[in-house]
Amino acid sequence: MTQHHDINVHFHKDLEELERAVLGMVDRAEQMVGMAVEAVTTGNQDLAAEVIELDDIIDQTYLDAHHEWTNLMARHQPLGSDLRRMTVLLQLNNTFERMGDQCVNIAKIAQFNEGLPSVERIRDQVREMGDLVRPMIRTAIEAYVRQDLDEARLLPVMDQPIDRLNANMYKETVAVGNNPELLEWATKMLMVSRALERVGDQAVDFAEQTAYLITGERAEFDDVGMAGMADDNKS
Amino acid sequence: MSEPVAADSTTEISQRIIAKEMPTGTEDSLTSISPTGRPRETVISVTDLSVYYGSFQAVDKVSFPVYEKQITALIGPSGCGKSTVLRCFNRMNDLIPSAVVEGVIEYHGVDLYGENVDPVEVRRRIGMVFQKPNPFPKSIYDNVAFGPTVLGYKGDMDELVEETLRKAALWDEVKDKLDESGMAISGGQQQRLCIARAIATSPDVVLMDEPCSSLDPISTLRIEELMLDLKEDYSIIIVTHNMQQAARVSDHTAFFNVKSEIDGQRTGYLVEYSQTRELFTSPKQKLTEDYITGRFG
Repeated sequence: MTQHHDINVHFHKDLEELERAVLGMVDRAEQMVGMAVEAVTTGNQDLAAEVIELDDIIDQTYLDAHHEWTNLMARHQPLGSDLRRMTVLLQLNNTFERMGDQCVNIAKIAQFNEGLPSVERIRDQVREMGDLVRPMIRTAIEAYVRQDLDEARLLPVMDQPIDRLNANMYKETVAVGNNPELLEWATKMLMVSRALERVGDQAVDFAEQTAYLITGERAEFDDVGMAGMADDNKS
Repeated sequence: MSEPVAADSTTEISQRIIAKEMPTGTEDSLTSISPTGRPRETVISVTDLSVYYGSFQAVDKVSFPVYEKQITALIGPSGCGKSTVLRCFNRMNDLIPSAVVEGVIEYHGVDLYGENVDPVEVRRRIGMVFQKPNPFPKSIYDNVAFGPTVLGYKGDMDELVEETLRKAALWDEVKDKLDESGMAISGGQQQRLCIARAIATSPDVVLMDEPCSSLDPISTLRIEELMLDLKEDYSIIIVTHNMQQAARVSDHTAFFNVKSEIDGQRTGYLVEYSQTRELFTSPKQKLTEDYITGRFG
């Protein structure tokens, strides 16, 4: 064999287009996280409405991608890394659609909380969570695009402070006292915290899919990531 | 229900033809790769198999096992030697004067090319189904009865023919026209008749050389379903150009490729052998990956 030919050109072109569409969803979702956090911490209602509108685009892309995925499977029955890529794209399509839904949940809370009193410390904490979640999504995208296993393994480590902040949010909510309006606002912000924590988990799932695509082996990603870190520490 | 070939006649033929008794399994021939965890016996063990046609080397040092009651697929591009390897399993290459087979092919631990082994007995135990259906120009009944008759079957032939046609999933379609020519039925039915003919002599291995390549998709599906039924009783080795077929029906897959030598000769060799689900989802060799994803030239 002296020359390398792709004799499956049409399928691979369609596969790349599907991949672009699905990655476009997470790109959009990452922007929506920033907009939703801004809306819920500042009360910017225009931003909240924009997030809800943008999710319609994600939902439509989800449906189109699912349709195209079914079409490609039926027509080409891919194997090897093509099969893994298809499996991963189906999973990511679901994950990114849900990321969009979490952003809508936050945006709707921004609408609900309009006019309610608020606590600066809680707003700061939600901003901090948003500032941590967005780089996670970026890192996961880069790991996928570069097919970089080491970068993918960073995700569970990056997720740890978000989990800690989310756990702390319960204490902050309890600490707001008995003012019914403030308590209502804080309880909703607890849901925002939970939504951001879920987005973090979804970014970890994205990285897990990337690792599977690269290695061909399914593994508990937390273990992989932590094992990798442990090995690094030893050396 | 009697066995297709009477036990006494089998024993007699075996004793006459195969001097060395064939063991049912040895410690060395057992492997622990069965998904159920139960060790599976190796029916055929191929070690450093090379095949030459005169000065032309068709296959270079191929080694892999064939497990009992499993379907093993041989895949690869044209000229990679997969059909040549298949034909070695029932000594079909003996019919080509210039063919030379090197290395060892053991069947239940017995060297298939040993001095005392009769190719006729080998072909009874290791049956073959060819690319194009090739029923004899005889009745459907006689096509099935031919092999057992030649081997001196003394049992109830009607019963044997019915049982065999049922195993080949053909009985219901031909039971009312057993006297009609085997060539008067459809291509898919003819191929199932050929499978019936191959299993009528009670082999435990059935070789299939692209058995569906001349069939329509529905007939192909029927043969594939039949293969999955037959592996309850037989070990099957199939050569196929259709990777999806290999992925659908086989338990193990051997991927062959062809290399060009300095003198321009093209010689087949084994690139990768593994469980089918591994080979088609996470192949270990880049060549395999390139082939199954169509990035191959």
